[in-house]
Formats: sequence, structure tokens, C-alpha cells
Amino acid sequence: MRAFLAFTKKEWVELIRTGRLAILLVLFSLFGIMNPAVAKLTPWMMEMMADSLKETGLTVAAVKVDAMTSWTQFYKNIPIAMVIFLLMFGGILTAEYQKGTLINMLTKGLARWKVILAKGCIMTATWTVCYWLCYGITYGYNWYFWENGIASHLGLAAACVWILGIWLIAVMLLMSTVFQTSSAVLAATGGIALVSYVVGLIPKARKFLPTHLLAASGMLSGAGSVEEYWCAVWVTIGLGVLGLLAAVIVYNKK
Amino acid sequence: MDVLTLSHVSKSFGQHRVIENLEFCIPEHTVYGFIGQNGAGKTTTMKIILGLLRADTGVITVNGKQVCYGQNHTNQFIGYLPDVPEFYGFLTPIEYLELCGEITGMEKREIRRRSEEMLELVGLSERKKRVQGFSRGMKQRLGIAQALLNRPKLLICDEPTSALDPVGRKEILDILHTVKEHTTVLFSTHILSDVERICDKIAFLHNGKLEFQGTLEEIRSQRQGRGFQIEFYRKEDVALFLKYFPGTVSEGGYKVLCERNMGNNMQNNMKYVEKNMTHAMEFVVKNNMAIRSIEMLETTLENLFMEVVGQ
Ligand SMILES: Nc1ncnc2c1ncn2[C@@H]1O[C@H](COP(=O)(O)OP(=O)(O)OP(=O)(O)O)[C@@H](O)[C@H]1O
Ligand SMILES: [Mg+2]
Repeated sequence: MRAFLAFTKKEWVELIRTGRLAILLVLFSLFGIMNPAVAKLTPWMMEMMADSLKETGLTVAAVKVDAMTSWTQFYKNIPIAMVIFLLMFGGILTAEYQKGTLINMLTKGLARWKVILAKGCIMTATWTVCYWLCYGITYGYNWYFWENGIASHLGLAAACVWILGIWLIAVMLLMSTVFQTSSAVLAATGGIALVSYVVGLIPKARKFLPTHLLAASGMLSGAGSVEEYWCAVWVTIGLGVLGLLAAVIVYNKK
Repeated sequence: MDVLTLSHVSKSFGQHRVIENLEFCIPEHTVYGFIGQNGAGKTTTMKIILGLLRADTGVITVNGKQVCYGQNHTNQFIGYLPDVPEFYGFLTPIEYLELCGEITGMEKREIRRRSEEMLELVGLSERKKRVQGFSRGMKQRLGIAQALLNRPKLLICDEPTSALDPVGRKEILDILHTVKEHTTVLFSTHILSDVERICDKIAFLHNGKLEFQGTLEEIRSQRQGRGFQIEFYRKEDVALFLKYFPGTVSEGGYKVLCERNMGNNMQNNMKYVEKNMTHAMEFVVKNNMAIRSIEMLETTLENLFMEVVGQ
């Protein structure tokens, strides 16, 4: 346990001292601010455009924005933030192989599964903080400018995307134990997400797939029911746990 | 008691046989020098001992316990300094040692005390600076500090002096020499003077085989009587001498080299060399030859090394 905590602490210090945490916090805050800002600016931009369009003879109807516009932005932008997050952690294990820093830890008796678990914990914690920070900021602005009540199941929908993020982290850890370079890890992780997406194009399979959770914003407008997502949630959690276990097993064999 | 024993250890990478039937043991409180050319298999041997590589055949025991590949229960007795030590650049030496101590399960107070002690010992003064900016020599020092942190029974150093300046080299060698009282040291090097300075036993590794091993005394007894050398004043004397002693060779100019295998079946024995020398001196006196010098040649480790390597 002490070895695990010590190694987790090292991961934590690394996160802070390499400036990665700061960058991510700033980034996710910006994303959080951007969503309501875009919503707020849309009418104004429309007006600007309307002026110039009028000369060409087109008229633009005034657009009405509310919290929904901002939340739609949130779900449109969060995948980008997620990709950046994964890019930043792509080398979390492979960089240690390449530099050879882990060998010393392992020869000193650090169990391999603790390495995987410590890295998984740190990434999950970072993802959780960053994600809910982004959510919280958007939520706060939306509450201030408009009315959040217009969207239903706000927290539930957000949790779906959060779980998807954790699944991707588990997948990336597994890929890190299989491949030697961070680019291979990222490519493989992206590949798996893509497979999930492509298979999701089949309507019958869609609701069992992790990527289906990205569409959870459908809950907000009431277009989709909550039940529609439960399956995907359980599958995602199950696959995430399996991925982590597989990562430990594969890594122990190395 | 032997801290480390290897018996019949072999290892190949694909077709390439790196280590062949390696067999040696290291008794407690010895400094064991491991010598060999680049690519002789020194690092590979060390990695096998640490369980980082799998040996194809053979048994290794550390402190009486058998080493298994991938398992690290024997590593609790071993402190290891890799050939190119790599540390987390964002940690300071103190923090790194703390991490190592926690992983090996040392007590908190002990970690703090030992870290200070070790950094003192290796002479690393910049303990609050991050490892990022460290020179190779400083990393080497930190490497030794972390290897010694939990009082290992066996200290394995892969070329500990290769990155150090002459002063640093001497300091590190002195450290290895002093820690001998508490631990056993196995270290590899190309630098033969290092070996002469501190090793109790040495082993030559060549093409994956142990060509020679023994205590320094054993080698010293060999190194005497490699032969002798005479430097004459006159060319005619050189020619005459060479004619009379068929086994001798001209070294160019006025020098003549009489190696220990002068004549035909002389043995590598001090007694014969001495006899040869006095015999030669008698000849010199009898023929009224003037000489500039006559000198017994000692076998240096370098000669031995060259001989082993076959050059
Ligand atoms: N992972 C590997 N795969 C294939 N061949 C390897 C591997 N590691 C080492 N070798 C080969 O094994 C041989 C011995 O290498 P090793 O690193 O043990 O030499 P060394 O004695 O430590 O040399 P040096 O003095 O340069 O450190 C070399 O010929 C090397 O090419
Ligand atoms: Mg080497």
C-alpha cells in the first residue's frame, strides 16, 4: 500500500511540476466559458450578418437563445476537450519505458499492477476534476444568463460523457501496455473508439456501445429517454473494468 | 558464504549467443570486477541477475535464494546502478530517494536519515535542485545513493565510473571500497586501473565466456615474469644477441625483447624468466657488450586483457 501511495504521489507531483495539470485546468475552464459565450454571442453575430445580408436581399429571422443553446455547445465541444486530454496522457506509460525510469522502480520491488493502477487513478482523478469543472462553469453561466430548468436530466447526461471518458482512459492504459510508443497508443485508442462508432451506425447495436453515450445530450430536450442509455452505461463500465484488468495482466507478462 | 552464485548460465538473443555457460560466485565482502570489451555481455549478465532478462539455462542464487525471471523477491538484497541511470527529472534527489525508500518499505525516519547519509557519502550537494539539470556524473552519484539506500547485500554497478572526471572517479572508487565492509560489490568497467585499485577478485568476460577469473594476487603472481628487455648501444651486439637467443625479438632500434616463452618450452614461471635473464646477462658480460638498460617486464592487466581478447 505504501509503495502504491508513494508511486501515486510521484505521478501527482509529475502532473503538477510538468505543468500538465495547469494546462488542462485552464483548457477545460476555457471550454466551460466558451459554451455560454458562444450562445450569448450568436444573436449579436446574426445581427451583424443580417446587416450585410440585407444588402444582398436576404433577411434573417431573429434567433432566440437560451440555456439549451449553451448546453448544445457543451456537448459539441466536450469531445474535442476529451481528445486533447487523451493526447496529453498518451505517453504516460510509454515515456517511462523509453526513458527507462521504471526499471529502477520495478527492480526495487514495485509490483507492476500498482504502476498501472496508480496511473489509472491519477488520470481518472484529473479527468473527473477537469470535466466537472468545465461542466460547473457552463452550468453557472447558464444559470446566471438564462434558466437551466429548461433542460431535463442535466447531471445524468453529463455523467454519461464522464463515464465515456473513464472508459477511454482504461482503453488507453491497456494500449500502453501493448504498444511501445505513444503514437501507437493514441492511434490504437482512437481506432477502438472509431470501431465503436462505426458499429454504432447499425441501429440495433447502437444502444450497447460506449460511443452512444456521446449522444446522451438527447436527454436534455426530452427527445431521448433515460432508459435508452442505461445499457450503454453498463457496457461502458464493464468494458472499462475489463480493460483495466487486461492491462494489469498484459503488463505482468512483460 | 557466497552472496551471488551463477552456474551454467547461458543466454542468446535470437541466433546471437551472448553468454555461454557462465559460472562464478562472489563471496561476502568482496569487490568483484567484471571486465570485458564493448558487447562482451556484462550488462546482459547483470540484467539476468536482476531478473530483468530470462536466462536460457542455468541457475542463479542471490543470498541463497534462486532468481526467477520477472519476479523480484531476490531484488530486495540487491542495489543496482544501471549503466545509464535515468531518474524522474521533476523530482529532487531527496524526493527520489524518498520514493525509493517507500517502495522498498523502509521506515520513514530511516529513509530521511539514510538519504542524508547517502547524499553526503556520494558528495551530491545539490539536493534541492531537480534532477532535470543534472550532469551525467551527478546522476551517477545519485544512482549510487539510491542503490545503497536500503543497505543491500549485493551492490551491482554497471560501469559506475564511465561518466566521471578523474577526481569523481577516485571518489566513487573510494566509496565502493568503503562500502565493502557492509556489502558485496559487483561492478563492470573497461578501465583497468579502476580494477587494480579496488578489486579483490576479477573476471574477464570475452565472447560470452569467462576467460579468466581470480583474485588480484593470483593475477599478480602471473603478471611477474612476462619477460625482460635489453637496450644495447651497438647494432652488432643486437644482431649477435638475437642470433644466440632464437626466441628473442628485436623491438626496433637497439631494443631486444625476451618474452617469457623465450627458447622453446619455457614455462610461464618466474623462476625460468629469472634464469633466462641471468643467462642473458652472463652472455652480455662475456661478449663485452655495453647496454643502456635491462629491465624485467611486468604483465599489466592490459597485457592480460589484450591476450584474452586475442590481439
Ligand atoms: N535486447 C537485446 N536484443 C538483442 N541483442 C542484444 C540485446 N541486448 C544486448 N544485446 C547484444 O548482446 C551483446 C552484449 O551486450 P551487453 O550490453 O551485455 O554488452 P556489455 O558488455 O554491457 O557492453 P558495454 O561494455 O558496451 O556496456 C551485444 O552484442 C548486444 O548487441
Ligand atoms: Mg554495458
